[in-house]
Amino acid sequence: MKSRVILSVLARFVTVLILVTFAITFLVRILPGDPVSTLIPFATEEQRAELSAELGLDVNILQYYMRWLGDFVSGDLGNYYASTGDGGGVSVSAMLGETLPRSILLMVYVMLFSLILSIPLGIFMAYRAESRADRTISNALFGLASIPNFAIGLGLAFVVGVKLNWLPVLGYVPLTESASEHFRSMVLPTLSLSVGLVATFSRLLRVDTIATLKEDFVTMASSKGLTNSWILWRHVFRPSSTTLLTSAALNMGSLIGGAVIIETVFALNGFGMLLTASIATRQYLAIQSLVALVAVFFMLFNLLVDLLYAVVDPRVASHRGA
Amino acid sequence: MALCVLAAIFGDLLPLPKWDDYDFENLAAPVFTPGHILGTDYDGYDVLSGIIHGARTSLGIAVTAVLLGALIGGALGIIAAYRRGWVDSVLSMYFNVSLAIPTIVLTLVLVAVFSSADIENPSGSLPRELILIVSLTFVVIPVLGRIARASALTWTGRDFVLVAESIGMKRRSILLTHIVPNVLPSLMSIGFLAAGVVIVVEGGLAILGVGTNPGASWGSMLAKNRGELSIIPHTTLIPAAVIALTVMALNYFGDYVRLRIDDRESRI
Repeated sequence: MKSRVILSVLARFVTVLILVTFAITFLVRILPGDPVSTLIPFATEEQRAELSAELGLDVNILQYYMRWLGDFVSGDLGNYYASTGDGGGVSVSAMLGETLPRSILLMVYVMLFSLILSIPLGIFMAYRAESRADRTISNALFGLASIPNFAIGLGLAFVVGVKLNWLPVLGYVPLTESASEHFRSMVLPTLSLSVGLVATFSRLLRVDTIATLKEDFVTMASSKGLTNSWILWRHVFRPSSTTLLTSAALNMGSLIGGAVIIETVFALNGFGMLLTASIATRQYLAIQSLVALVAVFFMLFNLLVDLLYAVVDPRVASHRGA
Repeated sequence: MALCVLAAIFGDLLPLPKWDDYDFENLAAPVFTPGHILGTDYDGYDVLSGIIHGARTSLGIAVTAVLLGALIGGALGIIAAYRRGWVDSVLSMYFNVSLAIPTIVLTLVLVAVFSSADIENPSGSLPRELILIVSLTFVVIPVLGRIARASALTWTGRDFVLVAESIGMKRRSILLTHIVPNVLPSLMSIGFLAAGVVIVVEGGLAILGVGTNPGASWGSMLAKNRGELSIIPHTTLIPAAVIALTVMALNYFGDYVRLRIDDRESRI
């Protein structure tokens, strides 16, 4: 019974995936302008023919899509055409090799930082629900959640970077080059993206934890004489964390979007900047592959969370399985 | 918030310098310079009138996109919930597919699709504001559509809808008299939140270099002056703060509307 559920989830996942990538192909196809002369304005006739074949301009969209999908699955993401005039391109995968780790590291830092901060905060607020501390923090968080991340980023850049001159405002230092410089260059971007997430996560966790605290098994545990912190961490946290998990997955999308902007603000030159540059210079294949990559990543994350539910909360598994 | 709306409507009547007038005597003036309460930027543009003029653009874009999105998305969502069957499957699939691409990324691609064929000469195409509105509407539709569908689903099963059906009311009038009015409040509360998101996305797009003409909206004001952050910080920080405050106000509004609905629900 259970494997059938997983199979149907997977089938839906694959269907949406195919539709999404096809929709992207369609959007890129209807981008206005002549792709060949935009990408290689000074090329010879053979180079033009070669590129138009590569972009699939000679076949219909369905054939082109099938070919692109095959390439995409086998890891060939197409070329990025710089205006060197020789008609050649750099492979997108090679460019990703440099930019993607930066963005992934940034997102990992943001997620870790937000969860580390918001889990104790949320549980604390729930434990002290409706106290003055809880109300103050709740309201402050509600306000913070409304501030767009680029506003936070610019404010931080001004105060910490320009006025106090504590941390670098622009640029990225690879981890291999200098670990301390790397972390210094990542602090401000991470903070700018985390503030909103911390606010969202801890408020969600607070609501769920308050609900869990009313359950019988909590009363039972405290009547057994278990300490409060033991109850909170061992009995209350796990059942309260499902909404948090969903929200973390859903926020991955806005996190990717936010990262695109924050990378520009702090000149990190990551995946987001590659994507923006591709769109600005009409890199047809690159746009298609990069957007598809984002969508796949985002959906995989959601799928993972769907499956994780069962691990965190066995009640869900028995519901769905039975 | 109300101040912003008023300012957007009556901005031209105030005795302020025009938003795109150069004031060469007062380039990059700090805050509280006589004649320029919020200072000027490096072109000598007055920041206060820029904010007021930007309110018109930013709020105009946000309100139009959300209203259109609510209208189309709401209609699609309600139809999906009421008709069920293949209509529902197709529409839900459409919502899911659009939602699988992060907002900013989708908007970027859509803006590229709707803008001019000739990237060297962008002025030859539709006005930039219009492109933004259309792209953002497409982004808002699935969000509101899904909410409307979920909300309509809870109402179509209610007894009074069954009664209406059993006494032979036409489907269209059931939809209009029984379902639409009940779905509207939740659509409204999400609509406020969506308007906030749209304003933020507009600002983000401006930072990425895709937006209205430099200085014409809040987002493009801060995008334009971002490079001078260390020299004339107020020109960047003031629009950023205005965006933040507006979004905060919208979120409070949305939350307030939601609480009112919950209150009504719990009394039923």
